Amino acid sequence: MNVHKYQLKADRKLHIFQFISEGPKGKIPKLVEFTETNLHDFYNLAFGDKDPKTGKINDEITTNNGDTEKVLATVVAAVYAFTDKYPEVWVYATGSTKTRTRLY
Amino acid sequence: MTIKELNKRKTPIVAIDTTLDKYNGKVLFPEKLAKANEVLKRIGLPKVKK
Repeated sequence: MNVHKYQLKADRKLHIFQFISEGPKGKIPKLVEFTETNLHDFYNLAFGDKDPKTGKINDEITTNNGDTEKVLATVVAAVYAFTDKYPEVWVYATGSTKTRTRLY
Repeated sequence: MTIKELNKRKTPIVAIDTTLDKYNGKVLFPEKLAKANEVLKRIGLPKVKK
């Protein structure tokens, strides 16, 4: 399956990724973060909307920009990029709600 | 690597943006991380079949 993805940008460590969601709600920057948990080499995946004015991140918001599949494909691409650089790590991911976890 | 090989790869082409380095050392989703740590502590490591 080849789903379209957004262009990804990342920090030098490839722990933080950013892309821009485009749709009826306009251009919304999104951040994907890989953070090491208390277990060595176990990383938590989290992503959400970045408020361009405040810089705050919100992972519970429902953006409704009509591009859910493309956003998720882009997050998956970030996982591939992260694990390509760090092949020995594990990635743990859940949604902010049970519904989202089932979707992911 | 040829264009054909690049298109077949699952690993995307990622542009490095040094302005994102400012997030290094910061936890952007602390509640998510705390929840993950709690679950991993309770459930432990996954069993890997070799």
